[in-house]
Amino acid sequence: MMTIDEEQQALLNRAAEERELIFNRYSLGLDPTNQVDPWENPTYEIYHITDKYGFMHDSRLPDRRDSHEIQRTKIELERDKKWHKMLADWNPRHEKLRKRVFKGIPDRMRWPAWKKLLNVEESMATNEKVYQNMLDLSRKYSTEVRQIDSDVNRQFRDNLAFRERYSVKQVSLFNVLNAYSIYNPELGYCQGMACVAGVLLLYMQEEEAFWALNALIVNEKFAMHGLFIEGFPKLTRFLEHHDRIMLKIMPKLHKHFMKHNVDAILYSIKWFFVVFVERIPFSLSLRVWDIFLLEGDRVITAMAITILYLHKNELLRLKDMDTILEYLQVKLHKNFGYNDDYAIEALERVMKKLKEHKLDVPPPAKVNEFPTKPLGQFVEADVEKKIGRRRSEYTDTEKQVISDVILRQEQNAIEVQSTVSYETSECATGDAYSMKTYQSITSLATSPAISSNSLYSNGFFVTITPPPPPRATTITTTTTETTAITSTTQISNQHNMNSSSSSAIIGTRNNSDVGHNKRSTRTELEFEDPYQLPNGEHSFVFDKQNERYGIEQNDINILITNYDQKQRQRSTLQVGGQADDDDDDDDDELSVENTRL
Amino acid sequence: MSSAPYNYNYIFKYIIIGDMGVGKSCILHQFTEKKFMANCPHTIGVEFGTRIIEVDDKKIKLQIWDTAGQERFRAVTRSYYRGAAGALMVYDITRRSTYNHLSSWLTDTRNLTNPNTVIFLIGNKSDLESTREVTYEEAEEFAKENGLMFLEASAMTGQNVEEAFLETARRIYQNIQEGRLDLNASESGVQHRPSQPGRTSLTNEVPNNKDQCSC
Repeated sequence: MMTIDEEQQALLNRAAEERELIFNRYSLGLDPTNQVDPWENPTYEIYHITDKYGFMHDSRLPDRRDSHEIQRTKIELERDKKWHKMLADWNPRHEKLRKRVFKGIPDRMRWPAWKKLLNVEESMATNEKVYQNMLDLSRKYSTEVRQIDSDVNRQFRDNLAFRERYSVKQVSLFNVLNAYSIYNPELGYCQGMACVAGVLLLYMQEEEAFWALNALIVNEKFAMHGLFIEGFPKLTRFLEHHDRIMLKIMPKLHKHFMKHNVDAILYSIKWFFVVFVERIPFSLSLRVWDIFLLEGDRVITAMAITILYLHKNELLRLKDMDTILEYLQVKLHKNFGYNDDYAIEALERVMKKLKEHKLDVPPPAKVNEFPTKPLGQFVEADVEKKIGRRRSEYTDTEKQVISDVILRQEQNAIEVQSTVSYETSECATGDAYSMKTYQSITSLATSPAISSNSLYSNGFFVTITPPPPPRATTITTTTTETTAITSTTQISNQHNMNSSSSSAIIGTRNNSDVGHNKRSTRTELEFEDPYQLPNGEHSFVFDKQNERYGIEQNDINILITNYDQKQRQRSTLQVGGQADDDDDDDDDELSVENTRL
Repeated sequence: MSSAPYNYNYIFKYIIIGDMGVGKSCILHQFTEKKFMANCPHTIGVEFGTRIIEVDDKKIKLQIWDTAGQERFRAVTRSYYRGAAGALMVYDITRRSTYNHLSSWLTDTRNLTNPNTVIFLIGNKSDLESTREVTYEEAEEFAKENGLMFLEASAMTGQNVEEAFLETARRIYQNIQEGRLDLNASESGVQHRPSQPGRTSLTNEVPNNKDQCSC
């Protein structure tokens, strides 16, 4: 045992040694023998390629922040204060909550704010020790451990928090998912949950993330249980609703997709399962998450439509399935083409419009979308599950899914068939001649002669290859279809023209492209109010009549274009005012920037 | 973009199937990007990749569907089996269970594709020799018994990945030449696109839509 004096002396010596050591290092200066940890050097690459969320990129991010970003930071600091206040005195019905969430929860505030929105603290208080119990049980009984292990090792591997094997966050993710598979044994673990829990863990501690995940899965507002459970009943319901909206609001794009066999399930399954993470830039997906946590799953429906709306013209230009899917699955993740504020404002508009047209929520869920067994009651798995053997027979639920998917495909096929020459409708924007052609074709298309052509022989061989295809290639067509092809050629030429003007849009969405947009607005505005359907009904059943006469009228374009104009006017206001004070939230002028990235 | 003529003569549809974690997406990535994707996220539903290859002076676009491995997704993914001209069935040579499940994958494939669908068995992770649990010989035997083509490959080093895709394409092409595939049938998984000589364009080879984005 050291005496107190000796102890003190030892400490003094150590301090002296340390002082000496540090002074020495500075004396050595840049001498190569000097000891430097890699992270201490400015060249330490990881800092230059890592964004504020911890994601590493392929190349260096800009070293300097531009004036806009500086401005943003200023705004965010102001918003921090407001959020501090609001969170300290939490009231979910706070009059400014919604507005502020739509502006984006400041990143530093996401931790407390998300916890409030998901009732995390309450859940933890009322379920003391439950998490630890579940975790202990999972260690003994989890049958999902292998799948979870495999997915944890692949989740956000490009993020500093997750990239190292068995890092704190990887361990947390593993624990949360295993514990949850025991807590909600009906659900177990489904791919996609790792991503949802991963996002939560970027902002929360382990146990918090567990209860947040549970809220997302079982709360009626989010109800992800129905998405992840065997048979994916909620996915089916949301897909059907998505198609319904597409038909009504963007019929042209819908048919374009159908024609190229782009079933919504291909691009939207991940949108729905993980709320857009890894399909749009991470910063934007966080903004969508903010709103999702506030408003619930209707946001998912609306965001899906928003994405397609914003990229409608580009998508219509892509003439095969590969490029369309590449665009939606890869390109939009790398570069969304619009800044986050712009995209979120479009989302808000779309949400409003869908609500007006009673399309904001899909038909109600059936009971199978919710847990039927009590949560947190341990049930030991059967032997087959423990071994993890692949079942050779399909369950009834699976059979249902299979027939659902096939039914979808067939329905889509029929739709395409009945409007195989829909391309002409692109001319329908005020072109009487092609409108007529289009109508004659649609009416003809329902005749048995044409419907006997299989979808595939149409879909596959109608080669859209302008300038004019020399021979009618391999197409076995009726005269009507040949007409259609000629018109397609015209359209594509028109497209070419458009693409030259759209290159202006690519640069900046400011005054330079106003001319182009104005022109199109004028054309579109010649139509009547798109949402005044003759019978004033908002039927879920798609009405052929409406489609035929209202193909453009039904397009959401008009509303958003008007909105665009408003925004454009706004954006001409001075960007760079002062950060707002506590009482008013008038930072819109600052945050709205109509620049396409 | 819209005015780009097709610069390939055929489209072949492939599916990649197999247990979770065997490296399906990495194999696809290695084939389309020619590099190993260490950060490969797990596949939810289906993902998609394309590459144009050449067989017998004919340009062939491979349209490859990469499916989720978790059993829960099989009801969804199985609808993509239909109309596949080639099926790459992958197991992990370091995990026996993934090999044991092959017969179940094979049954699914046979039930859902046409009799001429070329099935290629790939034993992935051949770079991990020290932890091997499935011998080359037994897998070869299994392939022979079931009339499958077979190679061991590594998505990590790229070894044999190219070969598996190309061999499959050659066999499919051979089936076409010998009249075994009806190109007009939707289930054949093959589409014929008469190309226009003298009009070449790279657009289809670079599906990144460079002209759409301003990155």
